[in-house]
Amino acid sequence: MMMWIQAHPLTLVGLVLWAIGILWLIPGKKASKPRPHMLGVLIVAVGLVTFCLSCGKAQSELADDVMFWVFAIGALMSGVLMITARNPVYAALWFALATLSTCGLFLLQHAPFLAAATIIVYAGAVIVTFLFVIMLAQQSGAAGYDQRSSQSLLATISAFVLLGAISLTLQSEKIDIARPVVAAESQAATGGMSILSLNVSAEPVDIVPLLPGNLMSKADAKHPVGDLQGLGKSLFGDYLFAVELAGTLLLVASIGAIAIAPRREQGAI
Amino acid sequence: MTPEEQRFLLVGAGLFVLGAIGFVTRRNLILMVLSAELMLHGVSLTLVTFGRMHQTNEGQAFTIFTLTVAACEAGLALSLVLSLYRKSHSLDIRLWSELRESDMSGPALDSSGDRGKLSSYEDIPTLTPAGIVPQNPPRAAAAENVPTSNRI
Repeated sequence: MMMWIQAHPLTLVGLVLWAIGILWLIPGKKASKPRPHMLGVLIVAVGLVTFCLSCGKAQSELADDVMFWVFAIGALMSGVLMITARNPVYAALWFALATLSTCGLFLLQHAPFLAAATIIVYAGAVIVTFLFVIMLAQQSGAAGYDQRSSQSLLATISAFVLLGAISLTLQSEKIDIARPVVAAESQAATGGMSILSLNVSAEPVDIVPLLPGNLMSKADAKHPVGDLQGLGKSLFGDYLFAVELAGTLLLVASIGAIAIAPRREQGAI
Repeated sequence: MTPEEQRFLLVGAGLFVLGAIGFVTRRNLILMVLSAELMLHGVSLTLVTFGRMHQTNEGQAFTIFTLTVAACEAGLALSLVLSLYRKSHSLDIRLWSELRESDMSGPALDSSGDRGKLSSYEDIPTLTPAGIVPQNPPRAAAAENVPTSNRI
């Protein structure tokens, strides 16, 4: 742990500033006058920038780095402002912004279909329904229980201890995964069959055909990760039964929602 | 693990932790559901990163299932919130703290001691108290009771 602190002091500083900013912004136990908002936002922003810059630079181009910083800081900042908002309508809108930033991160991770689907499902459907319910339920503006929160100090400290432990684990040098490398040349030799080789050690190992996992979900040189055709093969090949189950789940959930929601003859909301 | 993957995992963990803080601290029912959705975002980002790390599409396939479950969860949660709102005319989670098991201690109170009270409990379902040994009637009383029911 001391080694981690010495190696990544900025991560720790960022985490601490971030936690302090959340504690500054979050509503207290008593419905007191809110603290100066901009100062808290500034503390959180400084903490987030420090955290994201210390997460490690990629060797990729500068444009990728800048895109990552914009989306990551946008997602985390909107998340902070969402959980500290005193008006639930603002919280829902900040959540929409966090969703959009997460979709940007999906795009950076070569998942264009997921980004589109998430925007359609979350920003298009979920947020609108939430806003609808909020406006139905709170027509008289922000209520008293939105100005207070319970156990904010304890929750923030324990959550950031968890986040610190996760960063310590992720940034330790010990994690080394067996990384499949798509062998393009051997693929050409075998005529389109994808063959993966492991580069566990420095010298090229013999071609190990399979990592644990499902066959049709593997990416190859022709269909890289996130390719729509590959994703469809994975969904309707390896996970066909799961897709059917998910459809059934949607049906059950919609029937349940209709059954649970109050009916008109039970009186007005 | 390259720094490229590391930082995406860190952002995913950060989103998850933020959602957890929101879920624990906020008292608005809708905000709690929204915080749970933020946690799901963090998990989705982690899954996508893991999938790319292992060069498979499984991470993205799992994320699509997560999306499905999240949509179901949002629909069910909103209808539950609406029916709870119809009973209490408030979105405060504290109002429902009395639905706990009878032998559990209550939630930590504010310094103001404000715990909401529902106006009426007439048709609110209650839990059967668990863990209490039922008091069996004495043998004699049971023996007396049996013939009376038989006689009728």
